[in-house]
Amino acid sequence: MSEQKWEPKIVAFVCNWCTYTGADLAGTSRLKYPTNVKLIRVMCSGGIDPVFILKAFERGADGILVSGCHPNDCHYNAGNFHARRRWEFFDSLLKFLGIEEGRLQFSWVSASEGKKFVDVVTKVTNDVRAMGQFKAYKDLNDEFTAKFPEPVLNEKEIIMSEEEAK
Amino acid sequence: MEEKIISKEDLLNLCKDVIGNGHTLITPGKTEYAVVKDTSEIVLDTTAKPTKASYKTFVFPKAEPVIYYKRGKNDVQLLDVDVKQKKTVILGAKPCDANSFNILRHLFNWDYKDEFYNVREKQFIVIGLMCKFSDEFCFCTSIGSSPVSDKGADIFLVPVDENNYTLKVVTEKGGVFIKDYEKYLKAGDEAKTKKVTGEVKLPEVAFDSKQVHEWLGTNFENPKWDGVGDLCLSCAQCAFVCPVCHCFDIVDEDYNYTEGRRMKNWDGCQFGHFTLHASGHNPRDIQGKRYRQRINHKFKYYVDKFGEILCTGCGRCSRGCAVSIDIKEIVSNCKD
Amino acid sequence: MDKLRKYATELLQKGEVAAVIGYQQISEKRTKPIIAKTAEDCTKLVFNEYCLNNLAVYLTKARVKELRRMNGTVLKLAITAKPCDVHSVIALIQENQLKREDVHIISFNCAGVVKDFGMEFDGETLATKCIPCETHKPLYSDAIFGEEKETPKVSDEVLAKIDAIEKMNAGERFEYFKTEFDKCIKCYACRAACPLCYCQRCITDKTIPRWVESSAHSRGNFSWNVVRAFHLSGRCIGCGECERACPMDIPLSLLNRKMVIEAKEAYSYVSGRNLETPTLVGSFDVKDSDELFM
Repeated sequence: MSEQKWEPKIVAFVCNWCTYTGADLAGTSRLKYPTNVKLIRVMCSGGIDPVFILKAFERGADGILVSGCHPNDCHYNAGNFHARRRWEFFDSLLKFLGIEEGRLQFSWVSASEGKKFVDVVTKVTNDVRAMGQFKAYKDLNDEFTAKFPEPVLNEKEIIMSEEEAK
Repeated sequence: MEEKIISKEDLLNLCKDVIGNGHTLITPGKTEYAVVKDTSEIVLDTTAKPTKASYKTFVFPKAEPVIYYKRGKNDVQLLDVDVKQKKTVILGAKPCDANSFNILRHLFNWDYKDEFYNVREKQFIVIGLMCKFSDEFCFCTSIGSSPVSDKGADIFLVPVDENNYTLKVVTEKGGVFIKDYEKYLKAGDEAKTKKVTGEVKLPEVAFDSKQVHEWLGTNFENPKWDGVGDLCLSCAQCAFVCPVCHCFDIVDEDYNYTEGRRMKNWDGCQFGHFTLHASGHNPRDIQGKRYRQRINHKFKYYVDKFGEILCTGCGRCSRGCAVSIDIKEIVSNCKD
Repeated sequence: MDKLRKYATELLQKGEVAAVIGYQQISEKRTKPIIAKTAEDCTKLVFNEYCLNNLAVYLTKARVKELRRMNGTVLKLAITAKPCDVHSVIALIQENQLKREDVHIISFNCAGVVKDFGMEFDGETLATKCIPCETHKPLYSDAIFGEEKETPKVSDEVLAKIDAIEKMNAGERFEYFKTEFDKCIKCYACRAACPLCYCQRCITDKTIPRWVESSAHSRGNFSWNVVRAFHLSGRCIGCGECERACPMDIPLSLLNRKMVIEAKEAYSYVSGRNLETPTLVGSFDVKDSDELFM
């Protein structure tokens, strides 16, 4: 197997009504954006709990994007206003604790801003690629990790015996 | 082996050798017992307060995996945890802490031989140190121990003067260990040791543990328990710092959809949800019932089962309690 | 002291309150909470520099709230609270956990308390929470006792430490906090001692799905401490009980104080000071800053 060059894993928590629709628009407009990003659709940016961010980092995300509707445009009227205050604190806390600036980024992307979505995702991917793998959080995970032996194929899984393969 | 004398300097040399031989050396620090890499970190003070936390984490870790699993296409692979422990020396264990292994060993070898505990404990050498500390929370004398007791230690040290300790080998394990360091030992002076230990002020006996045991047997429904729990915040810090509390929780954790591990974590009977059933019923729903359980477990059930009180009298639980609940006071009130 | 005891006894006898949550002296340099329900209990009430506990933590406990029901009526609860503890009570009222008319606040002119029991009270041993304190007189109360005294002037080590940490780069900060959080044994004493951690079911108790692991390994410890600091941001009043309760001496005041500073700088808000203002994270302003967002 060839050595694959490391590519950052970006997780984007996006609100259903604006950013997700904007991403959809980017797709239908055939705009290309980095494949590093995995979108997770939530109904509203106000419904994104900071524990989701922590879990994403724990599971190996190198960078995270949180995106919602522009202020005053929230489908639920005030969800993004609540989110704004919440993220101010969470971002400040994570920076204080040593999570590098740029690993967690935020944006407002509306349903008609397909291009902006592409720009935002490209920016985040480039920023995180430049910062490298998020080793610090991954190392928290490495305590008590088991090294399983290589899987042994049982009878049913062997499609061809070695002689037949020759 | 009769008592020997070892100078303070030679004791540090012995420690240097222990570290040099690749063993782990643990001594009491400010908050907890910690591994020392260099002899300059060793501070042996008989008048020091007991550490905030005990050293049970070295034989009974606060969180440890018991099995790993990996889900394949058609099967699940299990991987046993290989418990390893280097030879470890605990230097300066107070008599209250030293006896903790004697008490814990019963539980971990009762209906199931707990390998995770046994493999570790086998490698430990406990060097006890006489204690000259006493405050309003200590009560080692009430549970059958004392500040000069060598019960549970493999080797026991008594400072006989400014520069020397008496070194007494208490168990066979200790005897085997000290053979490698005999060059540091000189002839002992039993009379001197007796004089020093005789001068130690013993904490006043606060209660008669046999009488408490009897009272507990017939007072499960006593209304005294109602008030006991009112102040408690159910934080279970008392169970976590206790050298002999051993409740644990088994919980599965995954690091992705296919791989994970089963963890064995410390748990405490004072937590509100400790006895919460899946049905929603909680037999110990108020703090009074939970505290009753704690006292009964320590001073009655464990005694009935294994003949030992599940308490070393160190007083850590009371000293560290955020609302100053004093176990000694409560047990002393276990009478008519 | 006598005035306090007489006042408390009168409150009980007049049937105005069901109980007085206060402090009792148990040794020369140590106090303990007491829930005084009788005149005899009230003779034990004290207030001095050893009254470290934040008694507001009892106001949300079911057993204590049950005491209010007496003889078919519902009475108030009286609490002896230092001015900082009064902030906790106000924060609880702001968050609708209590009503102002349900609690009778007995407060004091406070000049600081000790760092820990058993210490002699002087400039050196002043509790870290008392150093930046600006409310030596309670903002809300139904009675005030004690004489006004000068608080010893001590340099603010927590602030200095926060500044030092902010000068470190991200990697160093992460290392520092990882080392500190590794000490955690997940006893949750910090949560139990905090008056504002009153959730019936804490997020770390939720097992399906498991957002915050309860195991005491690096990952579980990091995620617990982050989540708790975050849940208290904009709410913590800095009583320091979490740090005092922690058996492993984790510097929780650094995290919580940082969030208090953040709330003040970003929103000019300090928790627990005004009954009329809504809570910071429970409300919003359309004119809040969008600086973080692309």
